Amino acid sequence: MTKMKKIDWLLLLLTIFLVLIGTALIYSASCGIKTELSNLVTRQITWIIIGIFLLLLFINFSYRNLAKISYPLYFLSFLLLLLVLFIGKGRAGTSRWLTFAGFYLQPSEFSKLIFILVAAKYLADIGKKVKRFSFLIPYFLLTAIPFLLILKQPNLGTALVFLPISLGILWVAGIRKKHLTSLILLGLFSSPVLWFTVLKDYQRARLLVFINPNADPLGSGYNIIQSRIAIGSGGLIGKGFLHGTQSHLAFLPEYHTDFIFCVLAEEWGFIGGIVLLFLYFLFLRELIKIAVGASEPFARLTATGIAVMFAFHIFVNIGMALGMLPVAGLPLPFLSYGGSSLLTFLIAVGIALNIKKNEMMF
Amino acid sequence: MGRIKGISRLIYFSFLPLFCGLIYTQLFCYHRYQRLSNFNSIRIIDLGIPRGTIFGRNGRVLVKDKPCFNLCFVPFDLKNSEKVSNILAPTLNISQEKIKFILEKKYFNPFEQQFLKRDLNKKEVAFVEEKGEQLSGIFVQVGLKRDYKLGKKAGHLLGYLGEVSPGELQEKRLKEEVIKGGDLLGKEGIEKVFDALLKGKRGGIRVEVDAHGHKVKILGKKESAPGNSIILTIDSYIQESVAKNLGRYQGSVVVMDPRNGEILALVSKPSFDPDDIGPYLSRPGNPFLNRAIKGCYPPGSIYKIITELAALEKGIITPSDKLECRGVLEVKEGEMTRLFHCWVDKEIGEYKQHGWIDINTALPQSCNIFFGQVGLMVGAKDLLAYGKKFGLGSPMGIDLPGEKSGYIPRPRLSGGALNLSIGQGALLVTPIQLANLIATIANGGNIWQPEVVKEIVEPSGNEILSFSPHLRGSVFIPKENLFTLREGLYNVVERGTGRNSRVEGLAVCGKTGTAQIAKAELELPTHGAFVCYAPKENPTIALCVFLDRASSAEAATIAGRILKDIFFPPAEGDDENEKD
Repeated sequence: MTKMKKIDWLLLLLTIFLVLIGTALIYSASCGIKTELSNLVTRQITWIIIGIFLLLLFINFSYRNLAKISYPLYFLSFLLLLLVLFIGKGRAGTSRWLTFAGFYLQPSEFSKLIFILVAAKYLADIGKKVKRFSFLIPYFLLTAIPFLLILKQPNLGTALVFLPISLGILWVAGIRKKHLTSLILLGLFSSPVLWFTVLKDYQRARLLVFINPNADPLGSGYNIIQSRIAIGSGGLIGKGFLHGTQSHLAFLPEYHTDFIFCVLAEEWGFIGGIVLLFLYFLFLRELIKIAVGASEPFARLTATGIAVMFAFHIFVNIGMALGMLPVAGLPLPFLSYGGSSLLTFLIAVGIALNIKKNEMMF
Repeated sequence: MGRIKGISRLIYFSFLPLFCGLIYTQLFCYHRYQRLSNFNSIRIIDLGIPRGTIFGRNGRVLVKDKPCFNLCFVPFDLKNSEKVSNILAPTLNISQEKIKFILEKKYFNPFEQQFLKRDLNKKEVAFVEEKGEQLSGIFVQVGLKRDYKLGKKAGHLLGYLGEVSPGELQEKRLKEEVIKGGDLLGKEGIEKVFDALLKGKRGGIRVEVDAHGHKVKILGKKESAPGNSIILTIDSYIQESVAKNLGRYQGSVVVMDPRNGEILALVSKPSFDPDDIGPYLSRPGNPFLNRAIKGCYPPGSIYKIITELAALEKGIITPSDKLECRGVLEVKEGEMTRLFHCWVDKEIGEYKQHGWIDINTALPQSCNIFFGQVGLMVGAKDLLAYGKKFGLGSPMGIDLPGEKSGYIPRPRLSGGALNLSIGQGALLVTPIQLANLIATIANGGNIWQPEVVKEIVEPSGNEILSFSPHLRGSVFIPKENLFTLREGLYNVVERGTGRNSRVEGLAVCGKTGTAQIAKAELELPTHGAFVCYAPKENPTIALCVFLDRASSAEAATIAGRILKDIFFPPAEGDDENEKD
């Protein structure tokens, strides 16, 4: 019985609730389409079942064991990311997916979580030496490898997630402020280099179109304008479930994935949007509490990384739908359609719950 | 712990802009977005993707874009597709069911213009404009179409455009190409192979419309950009001459420059009209098959060239050695005795008996008995190996889609040296390989990569790709053997089986080939082929004529006419084409 108390029921319930909302939205977004997308809901439910199973598995899988296998996992994810560059498949000229027994797997999704584990492991191991700059260099390498491989796919959004996660964990691990400041400055100065070398034309176009959506009315600008119309026309109370006109008619090719928030905002209005923000707020607060309560450095850093990962996804995805941020292609946790990201998010919750369970167990 | 607090503050704070954004978009801008959403008032008009121009080697335009009128519709604006299809069916010449099917199909974006019929004629445009009131959601839009100046004469070579299929859509997207349903795509020939390079950038406008679907305001415009132009090695004059001279025959002709491998003309018949492929889809004779590169045939007596070279080089025979032809040869094959015949002389209706002849008579007379005996001495293994040396049995690598490799069997499965020596048996070649073979004889042993494209030029005039002659390989042919062979080939035309190809004032070297079609075809059981080059000294033209169900004499006649057109062009008429 004492063990049951150790479960963070609020976090678990929030997760399940969000997943259900997501299923309803995907159903709504796909029911107007009679193409290959019509069985999205069935597929998403399959992923949810697998995901929940994994979540429960990870609650009972000690994070200490995870710490032990974090380097091998990192190496595996490195191999998969390499593999996807060579034989991967993707839409719109990208190679993000690996086909596995008929399912599409996106190694870059899992690599986020694996990176969190390895980053936490490394910093927990060096302890106080984090104050010395020379000990940070391997850490930068750990960050740069998946970051660059994913940027090369190209998948700008997912690659960017690595930066706040990496910095967040580093911050909590106790990096010196002047080191952090110089790092951020270095990043700012090197970004023009990335702009010209690594970014593909379409990524640059997306960033430019963000400034003036009408410049490219057929391509990237279209998504931004349509998603704003969908959200704005929802008004205070929305058009009602399954009654969205914009999202139903499939204006946006990515309604069920990256623009799922538009479906919610259009059909459930401002109230729906605020409720969702509130649910996410509670969800993140629970994660932060777990980080604060964690008894060991590895656990604390992992929980921090997970919290930052979720926060960044939520912020960027909704910001993008509102037209406040460039179209980056990041899924909204638990709501967006997509097996790999859903599994990653659910496993992340499982790991957080395990950290919570092991609180104060010296 | 304090540091986690810092992060948590940052995270909590990040909700503030989202919250404000929601208030702004959903509460402050509600009316504006609601209006846009209610009328669903944004339409996208596709102005098409321009494609580059394709030129012949002499600068003549072979294909270019020209404006046309398309009948378009926006699925969302259709009020009554039943009525619309009733009105349109008779004029458009499309069945009412078909129109209804197109209109009522589910489209990914119902606010995006779709095509009902491309390239309307004047009558149709006038009709739609007149009935405009009753045809809500349907309108005429200016677009682009391809203008194939050579029409059927270069169907296989240049190709045609068609709407992208779902499979192609998937495949093209993987290759980073910007493409959507309804886009036109090169489906054959140059248009297909160089599709990505020919394609320019799509133009389009985004308009706001009122409740009746009328344009109120243009929200944004994207100018289209032209694609790259391609300059071919094809000589439009020769291409037209070949198409004309091939006439109603079924078969193909390849003309190339033996000095560098440039293809001057490539024709396959029956052909199709690239401007309107519809009627040809159901025609017999497989009009979409490019026989020049996809047709696999036994080479017949043309293979005697290989047999002769192999025999001379192995020292099995010298130019002065004689062998007897009595019209039939008895060959022991294990237990059985096989009767191997020379060809049937149609005039007397019997097997030809050439008597005691040397190789200089045997080749022009295409004597099967002579070459059969020689071939037995060379052996199947070497006969095949020599063919392979000349590039037979593997694709020549021409930049046209779907080239076949032909087939060089293993010696054991080849049907034996006897059959191989006269180009029968399990051996298969394509007409372009035969053209290349004769070109290699013409230039003394160089196997050039056949090229159809000379260069690719950006709209600004910059050359982006230039195809210089590329040597695939070479065969060493001793001088005296080459001399013997060439004399023989010359005599084929002067007094042998290829007499029909003689051109007054031009020394032509050639070889006929007659190959049996497998079984069943009892009436005309042969393919007729003729390969040749000219002039005899310093040749500039090599060609192969391959006819389905015709004699090699007919093939030689066609080759002669083509050579005459090339070397002695008629003064008037077609000459004008070269100038523009």
